[in-house]
Amino acid sequence: MVDERIYEMFREIGEDLYSAQMISSHGGNLSIRLGDRIIIKRRGAQLGRLKPHDLIETRLDKNDSGVVLASTELIVHRAIYQQTPALAVCHCHPRTAVAFSFSRDALVPIDNEASYLLKKIPVVTEEFASGSPQMANTVAGALKDYKIIMLRGHGSFAIGSTLEEAFHWSSTLEESAQMELAAKLINEPFIEYRGMTEGYKTF
Amino acid sequence: MPTIKLYAGLRKKAGQTEVSITGASLRTSVSALVEQIPALEGVIVQDGQIRPHFVININGHAATGLEVDIQEDDVIAIFPPIAGG
Amino acid sequence: MNGWNNKVLDIDLSAQTYETYPLDMEMARQFIGGRGLGVRLLWDLVGPDVDPLDPENVLVFTNGPLTGTGYQTSNRFSVTTKSPLTGTVLDANSGGWWGMQFKKAGYDVMIVRGKAEQPIWIEIKNEEITFHDASNLWGMRVFDLTEKLGQDNNKRNVLCIGPAGENLSRVAAIMNDRERALARGGPGAVMGSKNLKAIVVEGKKRTEIENKDRFKFLLYETRKLLAASPLTSQALPEFGTVVLMNIMNNIGALPTRNHQQTQFEGAEAISGEALTEKYLVKNQACWACPIGCTRISQTEKVEGEGPEFESTWAFGAQCGIDDLPAIIEANAICNDLGLDTISAGSTIACAMELSEKGYMDSELRFGRADQLASTLEAMAVREGVGSDLADGSLRLAKKYGHPELSMSAKGMEMPAYDPRGMQGQGLLYATSNRGGCHMRGNMVGPEVLGLPKMIDRFQVQGKSSFVILHQNGSAAIDALVVCKFTNMGVADEYFARVLSAVTGIQYDTGDLHRVGERIWNLERMYNLREGFTAADDTLPPRLLEDAPTEGPSAGWVVKLEPMLAEYYRSRGWDENGVPAQAKLEELGLADLVAATA
Repeated sequence: MVDERIYEMFREIGEDLYSAQMISSHGGNLSIRLGDRIIIKRRGAQLGRLKPHDLIETRLDKNDSGVVLASTELIVHRAIYQQTPALAVCHCHPRTAVAFSFSRDALVPIDNEASYLLKKIPVVTEEFASGSPQMANTVAGALKDYKIIMLRGHGSFAIGSTLEEAFHWSSTLEESAQMELAAKLINEPFIEYRGMTEGYKTF
Repeated sequence: MPTIKLYAGLRKKAGQTEVSITGASLRTSVSALVEQIPALEGVIVQDGQIRPHFVININGHAATGLEVDIQEDDVIAIFPPIAGG
Repeated sequence: MNGWNNKVLDIDLSAQTYETYPLDMEMARQFIGGRGLGVRLLWDLVGPDVDPLDPENVLVFTNGPLTGTGYQTSNRFSVTTKSPLTGTVLDANSGGWWGMQFKKAGYDVMIVRGKAEQPIWIEIKNEEITFHDASNLWGMRVFDLTEKLGQDNNKRNVLCIGPAGENLSRVAAIMNDRERALARGGPGAVMGSKNLKAIVVEGKKRTEIENKDRFKFLLYETRKLLAASPLTSQALPEFGTVVLMNIMNNIGALPTRNHQQTQFEGAEAISGEALTEKYLVKNQACWACPIGCTRISQTEKVEGEGPEFESTWAFGAQCGIDDLPAIIEANAICNDLGLDTISAGSTIACAMELSEKGYMDSELRFGRADQLASTLEAMAVREGVGSDLADGSLRLAKKYGHPELSMSAKGMEMPAYDPRGMQGQGLLYATSNRGGCHMRGNMVGPEVLGLPKMIDRFQVQGKSSFVILHQNGSAAIDALVVCKFTNMGVADEYFARVLSAVTGIQYDTGDLHRVGERIWNLERMYNLREGFTAADDTLPPRLLEDAPTEGPSAGWVVKLEPMLAEYYRSRGWDENGVPAQAKLEELGLADLVAATA
């Protein structure tokens, strides 16, 4: 069984993700790296209602937990830990951000918070269900340079040194997308309020 | 009574370094502090949460949130964002 | 490619000749500059057969592609050498203005080899290199010498040693711009052993930037971020680094009286708050820095830069001294003599404990603020008790039969964080390549200050991940070379982008960390080649076996063994702490190491 403080951390963030409508009942995933091991949600568990036995600890380079873990999930998280300095991964389906991902190669926030913190969120295309090394490498590769990216039509992957950090980026992204959607509905000319914004698109 | 000790920039803001308060939880303790020193309104806690990078230690251990219980002899140390190396 | 000057200045002090040649750009790409380029060159130049005080040891001064560009804090530079204190690879870095000027003079690297027959000083004015006789300067203290050689912050910059370096004290620093220091590990002694008193530099060249628009954007964003962060815009300028004193004491991680306790009853008296209230004149910034963390302090006897947290702790809590003016004066004396404050203070503390316990016959006692000034003066000239202390606490403690009372790792005195109150810091000290040092991955951020978020300072499992992250990240920053305080407001992704904008070479954030990892592993291989083993990745018995009996860290010792095992595995090293072949190949080091190990 995983350490209680770690379980609490996963449980709280899982609850927050679900109540913020950033995941469906059984979607998304959270993981952290502890040395050469990782802790990740097991297949079929609900992030919004995590129980202690829903968290599995396993070796970073292979599954020695004795539990079946979703192979598509594990391969991506593993690639992220091997290729980036991440110590935590938050993968969720922020619905408004996903809606934007259908039609563009990068989200460039227009609200203050996200343009300050995130600047640009690239969108990559891979078939997630394939569970292929290529898919994992595309996601991990993109996270080498950005702390949060979108997988087109699917969801976001965010990294940080703690789960709270990774969640922070994810939550900021969805908030930003919702604001931009509302602005599109309002549909009035945008009045720029920031300096040097050309730099955001090429960040 | 529990004691709250203030550090760095909080001292000038509050005009004091140490205050005795009554509070059963960290949340109520901080509220009591703000009641005594109105200049601290919104400084340590904002929108019901500890503001980013504020460190609140209870007897030298970092408080994980505002819902922690406070005992009679507890010493609460509040540090605004500070850095060094 | 821009950013680098693409020029190495190679000086032979024995022959008093020099040559210049292009920088190996493939090497630069892999190691960037600063500490990275330093260790890469040291690998080639100085092997196990060379004693640090032999003429065959070198001093490699390096800046980086960002130095002198005007990016925030782009003033720093490094010196790399084999340490006379620890015998490990040593790099030290410093701020101020000298590094910026050295870049303007048109060089990326200066290698100083050999030994001059008589004391000399070197003057660099762009391409003009002049060797001057320093016989009449030998013996001069740093402040007077700096003034005499014409220090003018923005135009002409003096780097020098004081009496401590001349007398080959193994804790001697190299000073620049009067009160900035390349302090740890005794580089001053190496310079002294070469009879080199000073290097003065003037320059005119501008650093070329590849993508100017992008650079301007990043400059603008960085300015915003530093202004928005309360750490860099308020805490550091207002209180300086000494602001850490009270929080370290509060959590029970402030080493006191040679690490005999973890809390100091006099902490408040020597805190940043006390300094600001009573002795602060103003704050000051290095070149191109908007933060301004430097203190200018004044007592009845001195006025000058500092003291920093570590220095205040070393002469303060570590020596059981709560007299802040005496500490400020001790700091100023160290700057004038060219001594590392951390090692000097902790060595004095060691002597205090040895003397109180009767192992050593001296007057030194904890709490004796009046003994600081005279002891430091004695250390610099190796007189009286100073001759015992001049080479650091480990040699001192060994001499008197109690090496376990030296609070050092690999012979370098540990700074102001007691690892019994911060498990990650314990792992950091034990594995740091230059010895017990906090600047190679300081865990105070996550374990004490909650930066970026608070982690449990007593947690053991998984701690190595944080230490490795910080070690690699710090190494990368030391290669750029910028100030780590920038990192408090600006994330690594900005550094990668600035480096790309300046040089025209694409580095992403992961690449930058990879450079840091590469540097770390090469430093490790260097130490292994010197004969260091896993047995040296350790801490004094006091920290592993003697738990504090009071305070918030009571009952805790450093749980080094499990953290170290996890650390080796996570770094891709074998159980003896040797980087595995796969890891070396991954980092592009396999051929280098095989050919010359």
